[in-house]
Amino acid sequence: MSIPTGFDELIHPATRLSVVALLAATEWAEFAFVRDSLSLSDSALSKQLHTLEEAGYVEIHKEGGGRKRRTRVRLTDRGRTAFEGHVAALRAIVEGAASAPPGPARSEARPGAAAR
Amino acid sequence: MSAPVDAEQAWRDLQRIRVPQERVYDELERSGSGGPGATWATAALMWVFLAGLGLDPPRWAVVTATAGYVALLAWLAVLANRRRPMRLHRSRYDWRSSVTFFAGALVTGGTVLGTGRLVEPMEPLPGSLVRATVSAAVFVLFLIPANRWATGSLRTRAEAGR
Repeated sequence: MSIPTGFDELIHPATRLSVVALLAATEWAEFAFVRDSLSLSDSALSKQLHTLEEAGYVEIHKEGGGRKRRTRVRLTDRGRTAFEGHVAALRAIVEGAASAPPGPARSEARPGAAAR
Repeated sequence: MSAPVDAEQAWRDLQRIRVPQERVYDELERSGSGGPGATWATAALMWVFLAGLGLDPPRWAVVTATAGYVALLAWLAVLANRRRPMRLHRSRYDWRSSVTFFAGALVTGGTVLGTGRLVEPMEPLPGSLVRATVSAAVFVLFLIPANRWATGSLRTRAEAGR
């Protein structure tokens, strides 16, 4: 099976996929909401967001200062397109397997799992 | 080059996407239109405004009260928006959200006008209190279940689209 169009290696790791999936349902979300919803630590989420920001998939806005400091995260158009493409690719893999004749070729190696 | 995931893993990833998106709808249901606090505060403001108007104040007082009422409603909206931890993406809303908003305005406005007519034979003070209480009660009784219905339908729509 070849890589379906839209499959995104950057979004593929489990934590990043969850972060992007949550942000895809929102206009913006607060850092604390994303962290608590996904049961991540501050540092783990910061690391994933930094990677996504470098790729231009998310924007991070910091507002206020001191105890009232709030960090909002937004999925960019580029990030949204990449996520939709990735979901379409995952669906294509599932549908391709469902329509393929039974055989040993169905179970392939998962190099992507190394990133999890 | 082979696909980096097999079908089973791809299926698991598709299921994994659902979980964080469910959290977004949970939060939306929890907070409603700014949360129950905002609903009660809006109803209380409406009660004070209508009770005051029913006392037949002079024109300048009506204008001042209306301006104050609108300003306080706007301030409440800003406050509720600031407290939100997220905002649902515009693509996730559907016609039910608009219907809920306009139906809410229609039902509340209709109640204000209807009860205004019904209490005309009464004295101004008890009449205005009855009108304010009934209107604020209808607002709360309509808004809470209507919001729940609209949010529930958004979740159902999102699940159907997956």
